[in-house]
Amino acid sequence: MTTITESAVRRRNGPDWWRWTGRLFLVLLLGFTVMPMVWMIITSLKTGFAAMQYPPQWWPAEPTLQNYTRLLDPSGRIGQDFLHYFWNSLWVSTITTILAVVVAVPAAYAFSRFRFPGRNFLFFAVLLRNMFPAVVFLVPLFILMKALGLVNTHGSLILTYLTFGLPLAIWLLKGFYDNIPIQLEQAARIDGATRFQAFIYIVMPLSTPGIIATSIYSFIGAWNEYIYAYTFLTKQSQMTLPVGIQRFFSENATDWPGLMAATFIMSVPVVVLFLVLQKYFVRALTEGAVKH
Amino acid sequence: MSSVQGQAIFRDVPGPAPKQASLGQRMYTSRFDYLYIAPALLVMLIVIAYPVYYTIELSFYKTPASLSLADKTFTGIDNYRTVLTSAIFWKVTWQTIIWTVLSTLFSFLLGLGAALALHRAFIGRALLRGLLLIPWVVSAVAASYVWKWLYHSDFGAIGALLNQIGLTKGPVNFIDNSTTSLYALIVVNVWKEFSFAMIMLMAGLQTVPESLLRAAQVDGASAWQRFWHVTLPQLQGVSTVTILLLVVQNFNSFIIPFIMTGGGPVGSTQIWITHIYELAFLRQNWGVGAAYAVLLFLIMMVLGYFYVRALTRGDDKRAGA
Repeated sequence: MTTITESAVRRRNGPDWWRWTGRLFLVLLLGFTVMPMVWMIITSLKTGFAAMQYPPQWWPAEPTLQNYTRLLDPSGRIGQDFLHYFWNSLWVSTITTILAVVVAVPAAYAFSRFRFPGRNFLFFAVLLRNMFPAVVFLVPLFILMKALGLVNTHGSLILTYLTFGLPLAIWLLKGFYDNIPIQLEQAARIDGATRFQAFIYIVMPLSTPGIIATSIYSFIGAWNEYIYAYTFLTKQSQMTLPVGIQRFFSENATDWPGLMAATFIMSVPVVVLFLVLQKYFVRALTEGAVKH
Repeated sequence: MSSVQGQAIFRDVPGPAPKQASLGQRMYTSRFDYLYIAPALLVMLIVIAYPVYYTIELSFYKTPASLSLADKTFTGIDNYRTVLTSAIFWKVTWQTIIWTVLSTLFSFLLGLGAALALHRAFIGRALLRGLLLIPWVVSAVAASYVWKWLYHSDFGAIGALLNQIGLTKGPVNFIDNSTTSLYALIVVNVWKEFSFAMIMLMAGLQTVPESLLRAAQVDGASAWQRFWHVTLPQLQGVSTVTILLLVVQNFNSFIIPFIMTGGGPVGSTQIWITHIYELAFLRQNWGVGAAYAVLLFLIMMVLGYFYVRALTRGDDKRAGA
């Protein structure tokens, strides 16, 4: 917005070097952010031989898609494995996301609306979960999964990812519910709706952006998780992408172009998902989590 | 937490509160409320409470490498003594502090700068924000391999670039060199997570009242003065939460050091979590690893206290508004 005062002030301050500093900073930061990604893509278009040259070919002399076709070719051994990992990741992440929403929605709603003894304590107990690192849970959870008969199944991952995603999911959603006026539900109740009906028909539609944000968060978290997948799964047919990529690297330690192609394919789903839906995520943080 | 604070939080929560009712009565009245949180609590109880209990127990016993619990022997605080007197403890702790402090500091500063620069609307802002957020979204495993390749001592792009512009001669070792490895990894970590700070602070900036900034401007405050005296104090709440979350996350980092260097060379990138992993899984030293984990729980509880306090302050404010 340009008002008379603002332009007057700008005249007084001389040229707006402050704004130019901001622009320069953004350009440098963008370079820092994008450079590794660009180099990943450029490397993935090279042959193994072309990648191992000094000085490097800043642009591939003979660009090739062979690394991608090899990974995505279902008739080759590498392609078969890779597509398997991809499918496993997709399956685990999708189920985790659905369950996380189903479990987090009622919990967040209760924390936002109801006053029951222990509400505060329980809410913070849920949040504190975020403070504990995965590594210290590895041994006991492995034993627990063994007891539940879940070792080497995707169930072990889904159960674990669910708990680790829930705190933020509940926190984000609670922020959303906090901002939905209680009067809307009260009006519905007066018109004869039950508490459950008011929830389904009034609150749920209004909290859709929050649910989308929560889903993105859960999906990305599950898609990228590495430590539990690395510990709980020993069968190759069950492995998810992060572990599969590590396996690929330990078998073909010098095949950097192949590895870069694999990391690229692995990043595409979450990056696309996030870029398409980022406004919901930003909004969830703005409206729910940050605004007090 | 005092009951006065608790009251303030509940002020905006509807429904009459039977003031004289006993705890049991109140719990009975709200018995259906618990149904809503029951699934979440159940899952979290299984996957969290049991492991915490188990870890505490392990830390007081000597357990054989096979982890057969029948053969464990009680050793009191021996494991803790081993942790605190081992030569590597202070080295690892110092590296953890450097790692956590520098990662948090630079992530926060870059995030704050980006949030301020992106606050004003301009063409392509959403695209720019999206690009800057990509590192935060991609998997840490993928990021680690990409950076490992960038740092490669023979064919890495960064070393080659430095050579071409004449800053260095010959191959440059970033991560195979014990004096630079920790800092090289911190760069990766900052790359990965500065945009988390950015997105939190962007959200926080939107809550800074435009009228305050305008008033300051009319009074002749410079851009810097407006930032320092108006914007920054308004961001205090978000900043506290963001910094705490960054500290916790950095203290608990595992994937980047594990994949990129495995804690090496000569332990120069070993931080608490990778060290715990090594003790437990590579040396089957379960008791000592568990003792480390319990100490870590304690540190996290202290941070958690401040985290909850930072969050409740917001709750109080909203309830009072």
